[in-house]
Amino acid sequence: MIALFEILIEVCVTGGKTKKVEKARRKFLKIVSHILGGALAAGILAPLAGFLAHPLLKKTVYGTEDFIRLGSIDDFPIGIPKKMPVTSSKMDAWNIFEGLVMGSVWVIRQKDNSLQVLSTNCPHLGCGIDWGADVNKFLCPCHEGVFDIQGKVLSGPSPRSMYSFKTKIENNTVLVDYKNLI
Amino acid sequence: MANQVYEWIENRTGIGNVMKHALDEPVHGGARWTYVFGSGLIFLFILQVITGIVMACFYSPSSTTAWGSVYYIQEKTSFGWFVRGIHHFGSSAMMIVAIIHFFQVFVYGAYKKPRELNWITGVILLLILMGFGLTGYLLPWDQKGYWATQVATNIIGTIPVIGEYIKVLHQGGSDYGNFTLTRFFALHVFLLPLSLLFFLVIHVALFRKHGVTPHWKLSKQELRNRIDPFWPDQVFKDIVFAMILYAILAGWVFWNGGAELQSPADPASNYLARPEWYFLFLFQLLKYCQGNLLIVGTVILPTLAVTFLFVLPFIDRNPLRDPSKRIPFFAVISSGMVGAVVLTVASIHHDKHDTHILHQREDSEIQAARAMKLAAAGISPAGGMSIFLNDPIYLGEKIFKANCNGCHMVKGAGGETAPDFTDFGSRQWIAGLLKNPKDKKYFGESGTMPPVQLPEESLLDISEFLASLSGKLHEGDPGRIERGRELVMKGQCAICHPVGDKNAQKIAPNLTGYLSDEWLKEFIKTPADRKFYGTRNKMPGYEDTLNDKELDSLIEYLNSLSKKQPAVSLYKKQERTLTGYVYSQYGSMGILCPEIVITGYQMRP
Ligand code: FES
Repeated sequence: MIALFEILIEVCVTGGKTKKVEKARRKFLKIVSHILGGALAAGILAPLAGFLAHPLLKKTVYGTEDFIRLGSIDDFPIGIPKKMPVTSSKMDAWNIFEGLVMGSVWVIRQKDNSLQVLSTNCPHLGCGIDWGADVNKFLCPCHEGVFDIQGKVLSGPSPRSMYSFKTKIENNTVLVDYKNLI
Repeated sequence: MANQVYEWIENRTGIGNVMKHALDEPVHGGARWTYVFGSGLIFLFILQVITGIVMACFYSPSSTTAWGSVYYIQEKTSFGWFVRGIHHFGSSAMMIVAIIHFFQVFVYGAYKKPRELNWITGVILLLILMGFGLTGYLLPWDQKGYWATQVATNIIGTIPVIGEYIKVLHQGGSDYGNFTLTRFFALHVFLLPLSLLFFLVIHVALFRKHGVTPHWKLSKQELRNRIDPFWPDQVFKDIVFAMILYAILAGWVFWNGGAELQSPADPASNYLARPEWYFLFLFQLLKYCQGNLLIVGTVILPTLAVTFLFVLPFIDRNPLRDPSKRIPFFAVISSGMVGAVVLTVASIHHDKHDTHILHQREDSEIQAARAMKLAAAGISPAGGMSIFLNDPIYLGEKIFKANCNGCHMVKGAGGETAPDFTDFGSRQWIAGLLKNPKDKKYFGESGTMPPVQLPEESLLDISEFLASLSGKLHEGDPGRIERGRELVMKGQCAICHPVGDKNAQKIAPNLTGYLSDEWLKEFIKTPADRKFYGTRNKMPGYEDTLNDKELDSLIEYLNSLSKKQPAVSLYKKQERTLTGYVYSQYGSMGILCPEIVITGYQMRP
């Protein structure tokens, strides 16, 4: 803008093309070039950035069900943890993979038929937790973590009790919300 | 602070000097709008590079994943369709600007001494550009790219002696497969860009060395009088041109809703191959070079043309650049250009007026729309084509083509001995039948039913009623249906046609539930049944040929022929809701692994 004024004033004063006008004109062109170039780059980069950011904005890999069927309630003995594979469908970008084993859980059926479903992954560093039938405790082989049948830490380095999942029973079928750890 | 950083870098690299050197280049004769095309090409190339790199973050080159990943880019990401559109149409834009640039260079005589190598690298760059178009077309692995590229690789195969080897190397085997895509991808994103960059650097360096080629009328004195610095005088013009290019390109992409994506490549189909527009002239040329002459169109003529371009600076050695002094060369280049334009127009004109081609196009569009809908449910790892495996319409169409198309025509293709099924079951179709059963389109000479001689309105009433019997009528008019019913029941129709009792027999087909799925099924099974045509039947029964599932699919397909029917089959509409995500009850894996279907997915209410 300033350069533009300079040109105008100079042209008014001298009435023609002088070195000074030429210089001011170039200055003006430089400024406008920067502005236009910046606008062009922004116009190009904005959609590219939006596109590239897709994995930040949307889930690209996900299980397709809220509640996954583990089995019939009668499949689970009362008071003894039973390890069950969790089978579900997985969406990986454009692909759907059906009947994939996503992981496994410990299912404990209480006397009142309520259920507790615990993650098999140790809250310490993620090792697989075993059920020690002889000691009636969950045992983590990696750093000797010990948990009781409710998943509470008894000893070892684990900072918290075992993760659990929300469950529900519909028509005698045990369903677990495998996505959300509690 | 910023200054200090700049100083520090400058002291160690001297980048400022380099920039100054690059930007202060004097433009003899002044900056001009006619010089913008070369830099416009560079701008477009950069645009292709960055859109290409971003798309490569999503693309997956294999015959089972390519289509799915492009589908994902197109339909599931936020700006993917736009970026892909820019990249797709950007290639066309480059071609157009390149042709302008090429022609301008020729008119200005800029290929003459000492700029011969400039010209030659330019021709090489043009060929590389065509290589980009050719290799990029295949990457989505859709019908269009697949079949058009088949033509191209087969053309390579016609080169004497070495052709077959080059073809196999390109395809990564004797036939199209995974390696075809990996190779085309490697060519498209590594070899061609690197080659282009290599020749571009030489091209630009030589341009810098020799400077612009001004108008032939400008005298040496005039050139010396006006000298503008490259920055900002010429750069400003280049930026404005780049903006215009991008605005047009982006506008075009919006207008077209991005680049099209056809249904996944189906090696079993007979798709009409058409290359990108800038190859159409070559394509058309081949139509005139048949049999032994094929090689003239595929190898000899193109080689001659390219050779001519390469040697042009050496045969036109006259230093004068005035076009009036170069008439013969103008004649050669212009006739080449005119020839290409004529061939292109001929090809487009032909395709626009061939109903067969138009129908096939329409079909492929419907097919593409269906593919999009089916793919939304997720594509099985078996690949893009697998989305159709259990789509009844798709199966039905195949069955129809194998069993029925010999007698029944659909959209201009097929036999003429039985009724034409274009728009089958629609009100118009039924009305046409009523009006003149002996029409070639319906029963022809074998039609024994007398034409219904009633005013147009009454005919429409009857068709409305008959169409409603199928239970598939969309937005039926109750008044019409009732009037039609009365006409049929009280008029002469009911003398020959039973209506109301499914098993009643008279001399003409029972109309109870006419054209409903059940009616069609029984009819196709045994058209000679006494409740249908009885002894006057001509159509074979399919009771033993087609099983129940095939019959259902066939009927599904027949239903889809009427314009009012949805393009995606009804099966697919019985969606099951999974977490915010829908997949079909009869999804391919559902059939392969029935226990998944059984295990407690809930039907959407
Ligand atoms: S991982 Fe289980 S105790 Fe360390």
